[in-house]
Formats: sequence, C-alpha cells, structure tokens
Amino acid sequence: MSFITAYCHLNENSCSVNGKIFLQKSLESTESWFKQLYKELGVDYPKFYKMDSLAQAGFLASELIKKIIPAISDTYKDDQIALLFANKESSADTDIRFLESYEEKKTPSPSLFVYTLPNIVLGEIAIRNKWYGENMFAVLPKFAPDFFVQYGTILLSTGSKAVLAGWLGILEGRVEVFVFLVEKESSTGIPFDNENVKKYAGF
Amino acid sequence: MDTLREELKKHIIEELNLEDLQVSDIDDDALLFSDEGIGLDSIDALELIVLMEKYYGIQVTNPGEGKVAFLSINSMADYIEKRRA
Amino acid sequence: MIYIGAEEIVSPLGQNTEENFRAISENRSGISLVALAGFGNESVHLSKINFVSEQNKFEFLLIDTLSKTISSIDSCIVSSKKTIVVISSTKGDLDRNISNPFEESIAALVKQFHLVHEPVVVSNACISGVLAINAANNFIKAGLYDHAIVLGCDLISDFVLYGFQSLFAVSQAPCTPFDANRSGVTLGEGCAAVVLSNTKEIFENTPLQFLSGTSANDANHISGPSRTGEGLYRSVKKTLEQNHLAAEEIDFISAHGTATVFNDEMESIAFDRMKMNAIPLNSLKGYFGHTLGAAGVVETAVSMQMMRSNILIKSMGYSESGTSKPLNVITENTFSELNTLLKTASGFGGCNASLVIRKL
Repeated sequence: MSFITAYCHLNENSCSVNGKIFLQKSLESTESWFKQLYKELGVDYPKFYKMDSLAQAGFLASELIKKIIPAISDTYKDDQIALLFANKESSADTDIRFLESYEEKKTPSPSLFVYTLPNIVLGEIAIRNKWYGENMFAVLPKFAPDFFVQYGTILLSTGSKAVLAGWLGILEGRVEVFVFLVEKESSTGIPFDNENVKKYAGF
Repeated sequence: MDTLREELKKHIIEELNLEDLQVSDIDDDALLFSDEGIGLDSIDALELIVLMEKYYGIQVTNPGEGKVAFLSINSMADYIEKRRA
Repeated sequence: MIYIGAEEIVSPLGQNTEENFRAISENRSGISLVALAGFGNESVHLSKINFVSEQNKFEFLLIDTLSKTISSIDSCIVSSKKTIVVISSTKGDLDRNISNPFEESIAALVKQFHLVHEPVVVSNACISGVLAINAANNFIKAGLYDHAIVLGCDLISDFVLYGFQSLFAVSQAPCTPFDANRSGVTLGEGCAAVVLSNTKEIFENTPLQFLSGTSANDANHISGPSRTGEGLYRSVKKTLEQNHLAAEEIDFISAHGTATVFNDEMESIAFDRMKMNAIPLNSLKGYFGHTLGAAGVVETAVSMQMMRSNILIKSMGYSESGTSKPLNVITENTFSELNTLLKTASGFGGCNASLVIRKL
C-alpha cells in the first residue's frame, strides 16, 4: 500500500496545506493572488513571472508540497519522482490569450504560444527540481479519483517511488487545484485509494 | 538617461514579465542574455523581435540577427536608431 | 504477452493503412504548398487532409479511424467493459470550442461506439502518441483492462501554425529531417489508431508483440531540447533495460526528426550516447509533416507496416548529414529483416518517450 503523505488545495482566495490554511488572499494588496503566494513561500525563482497561470499553479503547489516534505529531493533519485497531472480545460486559459495576441493585438506572441500545451507545467516543475522521471498530463471531463489511483499505482510499480499528482483546474480566474504526493515506501499517511483521493480532494 | 533607452527597458520589463526588475536595475551595457545581466533566454529573444515590430515598426526576419542586435540595451538602441527614418 | 495490431492511418496520403503505406513505399509525400495559410497570408508547406470537410473534422476523423480499426478486430471488443480507449492529441477540436477542446468529440465517440469507460485523453505535446501507447500497455499489464484502443489525432489550425511561425520554427520548403540544410518543421494533420490486447485471437491479422516503453524529462528548458539529449537518452536506456535488450538488437529506429536544427541535433547526441549510430533510422515527417499529438501513433503504425513488409523506408528529405554525431539515416527503400523497432518522440515541456515493438 502506498500513502498520500502531503496534499494542498488552492482556490481563488486561499491556499491550504494538509487541510490547514497556509495563506488567504489579501484584498488590500495590488498584487495578484499567485504572486502573493509566491512571495509568502519565500522562493527565489524569477522564472515564475514568465509562467502562465496553469504553470504557476502547478509550480506553487509543488513548492508547497516540498515545504511539508523538505527532504523529498534527497530521499529519491532524480528519476524516481513521477509527475501525473490532469484537468478539464487543458491549456485553454493561455490558449485564449494567445488567440487574442494575434486576432486582436495582431502579433502572435511566442512566449504565450509555448504555454499553449498543458504539459508545460510538468516541464517547469522538472526544471525547477531537476527531476528526470516519468510525466503525464491528461485531459478528463471531470476530476476522476480512479484515474489518479490507477495510473499512479502503475507508475509506482514500474520504477517510480513517488508520484506528485494533481488536478489543475485553471480558466479565466477560476482556480480549482488539488495536488498531492504519494510515496511507495512510506509507512504512514493516508492510504492511496479512490475513496481517500475523492474525500481529500473535496470537489 | 536618454528616453529611448529608458523606454526600451520599460517595454522589456513589461513584455517579458520581468516583474522583479525596475528600469534602474538594467545597465545600458549589461549582457541581456547572460545570468550576470538579466538572464533572458531564446523565447525572450523572440519576444524582443515582436517588441521591435510592435513599438518601433522594425521587422527582424531572421532570429539570428536578433541575437546579435539584442546583446545589450545599448546595442538595441543602436539597432533601432540605424533603422529609424 | 501484450499484442499490438490493427493499425489504421488516415492522412493526406490515404484513407486507410493500405493507401498510406503504398504511398510511402513509392516515396510520395503528403506535403503541398498551401496558399494564404501563413500569418502574413503567405503560402506555407503543409500536409493537409482535403477529403474531409473542415466542419467538425476532429470528431469525424476520430470516428472514421476507429470504425476502420475495429473492422479488423473482434466486433465485441470496442464496447466491452474490459476495453479502454486512450486518445492522444495536443489541441483537439480547438476551433470548435477553445475552452473545452475535447468534450464534444469524445462524447460523440462514446455514444457512437457504446464505449463503457470514459476515454483518457493524453495531452503531452509531441510525445502524446508514444505516451498514450505506453499508457495503454500499462493499463493492460496492470490487469485493469484486457484491450486498449489508442487513437492519435491532431489538426492543422491557424492557432498552431501562427504559433510555430512566431517561434521561427516553420520551414520554407518541405521539411528535411536530419539534413544539413534543414530549417524547421512542416505541420501535418492526421489520425491513426492501434489496438493493444492481452489476447492474440482478437486480431484478424497477425499482431506484433508490444514490449513496453518509458518517458523521461530533460529538466532543462520548456521549449528547447536538452543539448546533451538527457531525457531522450534516459528514456531509451530505461526502455531497453526494462526489456533486457541490448542496443544491437534494435533493427531500426523510427526517430522523431522534426527537422528543426536543435531537435535533430539533440536526437543524434542521444542516439550516439546509446551507441546506436549504426542502426538504420528514419523520420517519417517528410511524408506526413509533423502531426504533433498524432505523430506517435501515425509513425508507430507506419513502422509496424515496415516490419510486416520488411522494408526500411527512406527518410524523405534527407540528402546530407546535418548532425554532429553520425546517424545511419535510411537513404533509399531497402529490403531487410525487421524484427525489432524502437520508436522515439520528444516534445515541448522537455518530454521524451520511447517504445519497442517486436515481431512474434
């Protein structure tokens, strides 16, 4: 049995880690919610600003998980942590912006275009952490706990020792994010099964 | 600071999402693509080409040409001045 | 043992596998010059399907290709509860619904074929096809399903073409993978399918054996490939190790070969690190263009046909070596006993994937 050893939630106004609030959006601040969270995390990674919302959401969630499990990169070899993410709208949030860049602003933007693929968030997490393991991004009609459990289990039995998994629902201001870490060789945590993934996601 | 150079820095900060940076952080002769400069990468180079067209009406047709012209704020300003009427 | 077969292809070269493979065997390309296609209304080389209307093209191709595929397997398989459909695509039906590019087409597919389980859409840039096939195999090996049908489909759209143009990544002439004068991709559209199963008897024609595959990230840059070919090297190495294969046992490589300066160079470095320089290799993108999310399935299907006919197909567009590490690029159609295939793919996001198929 594998265990969920850490999880986080992100929505438009707040962020929680293992069920406890980590930060609430400040209404006085002129800065965007994701920027507030980035600063609160105390991470020094200027590339964050170039990322689109989907990549920022995944990046922030992975940094939150690392805050709970700081030894993660030391515990595992550089190809043992798999990344398994999904959502319903693919990269639509940035797709719409890229479309605007050439339809309205008359110049297709290369820095937007590179984010018009949902798996780029996996690349950003891999680059940040130097993780060379398995990756998959899937598009599903709704949050499906059984997809994560089935494929997560497959990854853990084919060479990966941990899976950073999550649902990244991002579209035009809507934020519906649940990211969790599953570890094969943990002896404690939340048992990794459909019921628990559904329960802790809370969607 | 002359207005073209200052304007260039403002455009670059905005178009390339360099939120951390102020105009005063970018030296005129800093190597833009080096980590000691502002650490731009190949996608940023392409956005600079878009910026050239958008704000200065200059078409850079070959990305290789861009990489040389965009070495620093100074070289970008020279490039623009040469091509303006 | 997991079997793979019933490969089907719909592309500018033909409406089924037979037509496509005949065209390829005659070294004909599906690439043509399309007027007014580019962002500045310039003509651009593309590999476009003209025999299907643009309206709901994505949905049509999925349904059409799946119909053709299932005609060469047991009729009860597609709507069996032991069957999963895995779809690989980068942009789906973007023009129809930018906020939800898969929902309508997938729903139509489910309804038409009475699919029991919700299809899984793998959207992982240009490795989607290979990744989807690997995922299908993994689902069966894990005992979750007995059969899996993998469908890869992507269309050419202004969105994608203008995007590649903004990266200066589109070739002026038809793409020339691995060639010294290569200058970028030629976009293509297509739909292909393969069926994987733990039961040999479902196939009308003898299947091949699917060995398994892996993926690995470069952890380097989101759109440029690793200069050391790290991710591709790791994936190929893992795939061979998992299957207890030595590099010499590979009879040919169907590489990714997009014809950008950086991609093809990266692949040569990765294959060199694996000491695979002498293995006959081609890119099929000179025939189909780069079909993005469909590429892994289209090109695997063609490679399976190559194995069935024992023909090494010429790598279209190649005349002079253009990579720093030598590769044995196939320069003319050659008969050769082909038992073991290595298929690779690389894509934006630093992703890389590989798989191995063997004759029974």
